[in-house]
Amino acid sequence: MADTRFIIQRNSLIISARANRLRRLAALGGRGILLLITSSSALVILFIFYFIIKDALPFFQLRGLKEFFTSTAWYPSSSPASFGATSIFVGSGLVTLGAILVSVPLGVTAAVCLSDMLPFSLRQLVKPVIEMLAAIPSVAFGFFALVVFAPQLQERGGTILSVAWWMITAPVAFLMLWIVSSVLSSRLPERIRSMGRLGLAAALAAPTFWGIWFVGRSFHALEISSGANALNVSIILGIMALPTIVSVSEDALQSVGGELREGAYALGATRTETMLRIVIPAAKSGICAAIILGIMRAIGETMVVWMASGNAAQIPRPWFNVLEPVRTLTATIAGETGEADHVTGSARYHVLFAMALCLLVISYAFNYVSDRIVRRTSRIGRA
Amino acid sequence: MTVAPTGNMVKPVLSIKSTNALRQPSDGDNQGATHLSIEDFSVFYREFQAVKNVTMVVPSGRVTAIIGPSGCGKSTLLRAMNRMNDLIPGVRTTGRLCYLGVDIYGRECDPVEVRRRIGMVFQRPNPFPKSIFRNIAWAPRINGYRGDISNLVEHALRQAALWDEVKDKLDQSALALSGGQQQRLCIARAIAMQPDVLLMDEPCSALDPIATSHIEDLIDELKKQYTVVLVTHNMQQAARVSDRTAFMYMGELIEIDETRTIFTKPKKQQTEDYITGRFG
Amino acid sequence: MDLTSRKLVDRSFTGLGWFSILLMAAALVILLAPIVVRGLGAFVFKGTVEHRKLQFEVFGHGRAGAVDAETAEVTEARQPVYDMLAAFEAELESADFASRRKHAGPLRELKDHLRRLLGPLPAEDAPVLMREQYGQTRWDRAQMALNHLLLIETYDYSDPTQMGRKILTPRVEDFKGTSLEPLFAYVEDNASAMLKPRWTLYWRFLFDSSHDAHFFGGIWPELLGTIYLTLGAILFAVPLGVISAIYLVEYTEEGSRLVGLLRTCINTLAGVPSIVYGLFGLAFFINSLHVSQSKSVLAGALTLGILVLPFVIRSAEEAIRAVPQTYKEAALSLGVGKWRAITTVILPAALPGILTGTVISMGRAAGETAPIIFTAAVSVGQPLSFLQTFSEPTPALPWNIYNLCSEHEAVDEIRHVQYGMVFTLVMLVLLLNSGAILLRARITKRMRG
Ligand SMILES: Nc1ncnc2c1ncn2[C@@H]1O[C@H](COP(=O)(O)OP(=O)(O)OP(=O)(O)O)[C@@H](O)[C@H]1O
Ligand SMILES: [Mg+2]
Repeated sequence: MADTRFIIQRNSLIISARANRLRRLAALGGRGILLLITSSSALVILFIFYFIIKDALPFFQLRGLKEFFTSTAWYPSSSPASFGATSIFVGSGLVTLGAILVSVPLGVTAAVCLSDMLPFSLRQLVKPVIEMLAAIPSVAFGFFALVVFAPQLQERGGTILSVAWWMITAPVAFLMLWIVSSVLSSRLPERIRSMGRLGLAAALAAPTFWGIWFVGRSFHALEISSGANALNVSIILGIMALPTIVSVSEDALQSVGGELREGAYALGATRTETMLRIVIPAAKSGICAAIILGIMRAIGETMVVWMASGNAAQIPRPWFNVLEPVRTLTATIAGETGEADHVTGSARYHVLFAMALCLLVISYAFNYVSDRIVRRTSRIGRA
Repeated sequence: MTVAPTGNMVKPVLSIKSTNALRQPSDGDNQGATHLSIEDFSVFYREFQAVKNVTMVVPSGRVTAIIGPSGCGKSTLLRAMNRMNDLIPGVRTTGRLCYLGVDIYGRECDPVEVRRRIGMVFQRPNPFPKSIFRNIAWAPRINGYRGDISNLVEHALRQAALWDEVKDKLDQSALALSGGQQQRLCIARAIAMQPDVLLMDEPCSALDPIATSHIEDLIDELKKQYTVVLVTHNMQQAARVSDRTAFMYMGELIEIDETRTIFTKPKKQQTEDYITGRFG
Repeated sequence: MDLTSRKLVDRSFTGLGWFSILLMAAALVILLAPIVVRGLGAFVFKGTVEHRKLQFEVFGHGRAGAVDAETAEVTEARQPVYDMLAAFEAELESADFASRRKHAGPLRELKDHLRRLLGPLPAEDAPVLMREQYGQTRWDRAQMALNHLLLIETYDYSDPTQMGRKILTPRVEDFKGTSLEPLFAYVEDNASAMLKPRWTLYWRFLFDSSHDAHFFGGIWPELLGTIYLTLGAILFAVPLGVISAIYLVEYTEEGSRLVGLLRTCINTLAGVPSIVYGLFGLAFFINSLHVSQSKSVLAGALTLGILVLPFVIRSAEEAIRAVPQTYKEAALSLGVGKWRAITTVILPAALPGILTGTVISMGRAAGETAPIIFTAAVSVGQPLSFLQTFSEPTPALPWNIYNLCSEHEAVDEIRHVQYGMVFTLVMLVLLLNSGAILLRARITKRMRG
């Protein structure tokens, strides 16, 4: 019989108390080792905080808080040195703001388009585009910004700006005119309504487009003294943040589910109304998380800003003038650690850790907020 | 072997008589000895009691079928027999479930060893994403089998009546087999470990009639060597292949007896109602 | 709003969506096009005889006979130029002081331009710098040098409101009426005979080391450094990450306090800006642990490893979670212990996902610059042997791209090297990414049969 030919070793069903204890101990030990490894990879974050704080504290002990956060005089290498980082904070904030302005509207509409408008086959084509954009190393973006984009911006900046201005405002103005005139003309009697609408539209169009043209012309006349400025960096950072924003908000939109959409369509809503009134509000938290992740990518980015922001520690005048060069936290750390390396112990070295600490705190705060948002909604979703 | 016309399930009682599938309990070497004995056994999913104070014995060398409406706790009871419920968080048991006289839920009992001796075949065929050969050879190898592994594989496949169909493609992925073949492969995988008891949870529910009849034939063969516990929804199947049948309802064991008795003169009204299709 | 307007708004919204998608695609194309086109220029270009001579003399590539024959030919074509120069110089010797003074400056300039185009003049000692030992190796750069030789560039700043206006005057005017006048026409007409441009596939760009601050040669030290750093990071991050993922999925209950804490830590780690990783690597690995005296490949790889760790954990977790529960059930029902079941059934089934995550993290590690600035990267260096990686810093593609295009002494003259490097890095990363996708598809297919 088969049983006699194939013998698989069997242990006793019952194991002695000692063996049992040993076995439990071994299992516990195994789990312990696993836990140790896991927590060591999780604890790296505490190490990071510890080591950054350890080297940041001496700076605050030496120089106090006030100068760092309120002064704009950043002369770390002169003597006496001064370490006012306000302009650097403003620089970081400005390019981040610019990146948000570029990436959020584009990213969210692209996500909507991807999840609700494109046919399946096209979606399969667009996905790799997003993945490729996300994969390209930041130094390649920086190289592009510095070597390709900056000279163009310097030579043809005015033209580029005015074209962009027209591309953004003309369709919006057209749409607004149409809506305003149709709303206004709906009060008119039936007979002359369409005539009235056309007349109204024409009357309103003249001043509107003149305004657009006027602003566009002043853009056109702008001379850009250096292509390495906040605008350049904002645009590039915006493009870099796009893939994150698109893919995360697309996930959020997808998870809203078909019933809600069908419900809205069944009530006679157009696709836009469904998306704007029903789906996007329902996916709001996911989209917020996406935007926060995008912002984090922009704030934390080093190479692009270091290479193409101009690295001038100054507050642009007026503060929103993106055509001036700026300097950011990340670029300062990257650019000055090498020089401060040799004089370990001086304020000049520790100030860079103070900046890293600020970055760390900012990114932790954003992370916390997005975590909170996601968690709260997933709880609501489950309830 | 009896291959019943599986199409008509309208009147189970009649069709059983006509297929002549009910066998007298044959008296073999150790047939009839108690293999698994279950005493006042309950299973809880956190607060919910899925199996309620069941007491029964599974005799060795015979096929025991468990029938009952969906959700009555058949799978839970079956999975309890080789401690597969350990995988589900929050499962608790009370009572005793003894295998060869050892309470398998006792502190000193080794669940891995229990599963080595009590094999299981699941409702859906679940071969590993490996080759056919390695699906079967995997567990014996890990458990320290030192003999000729390809002989063992061939033997298991022959016992599972699959050898002729796959002998030329042992290196191909098991996932490329048909559903029925996959299920027989899973049976072969289980019997390659030479278990004493084979638990089968609705092994035919995902299969077509022909594949089903293959498996039924196979069970008939297997009971010569193994004790089989079979959960099924198909009462004809229970009648055709099992020697004893247990009827469960709402977590309770209503009745257990020789299959012939259950299907011809059940003692409980509930059993009769269920078998004749008056509820379910 | 009436129906027409609602429809119009709907259309515009759709249009906006399409516009953003197209813009994204356009951004990708605009970004990649110059990198690909000009990057290929580092590999495929019209190489001059100087290129072949350099390849032979410095790297030992090519056949001696062919190079010698070509050198002889171009020497012959160049001879009239040098003859004219010598004749003119002799003429100056005997000329009056005023004429000597008038021509001395322009002559010096002319000789500089000639050297730049064709390499050192025949009678001179060999210069020290390698970039002065050879003429232009690439025909496109040779043509630029030729232009500078033929035309003088000056700027007109007379209008203070405008930027300076460029004015070009032929250099020949400086030598009107001298014996040097025909030189310019001769050089212009015989440039290609003197340099012999020929289409060249310089695939060795990847494997040649660089000479004279990247003026000549390839990018092997950088490429090798990037490979070392990437592999080191992966070797460090993948075992840690996979084990952590196993623990999180198989050994903890979702929703417990501990898991929540671990998750928060890992998420925060994923959000840390890359430059902070760099500072941390400097403060921890180099200044505290002293894994090496100063910057080293080891320190950089560890830093990069930490950077990709959260990503590896997440993708491994996802992959392990995606393995059907039934595999585990089947494995356990055969009487196999849990750890054995995990290592022999679940991990193999999760392997495609884990590999995909690994390969994508490799791409990430290869492209990151900020973490290696203070921990591993130097601007110039030799290819390292394996043992040296524990103590020596290395050049690396991302860092040297930055370095060559913003800190190099002659940024404009080595554009092709910069583009070549960016092209190599981008292709490396994109290949890794598409490799990951293909890999996933193939393994999944094989598993499905
Ligand atoms: N993992 C679980 N957690 C909580 N309750 C469960 C779980 N699995 C099963 N149950 C509950 O236990 C009861 C018995 O389930 P079981 O799967 O044993 O039924 P069954 O008789 O096998 O049904 P079917 O014939 O449909 O397979 C059901 O009421 C079910 O809801
Ligand atoms: Mg069941």
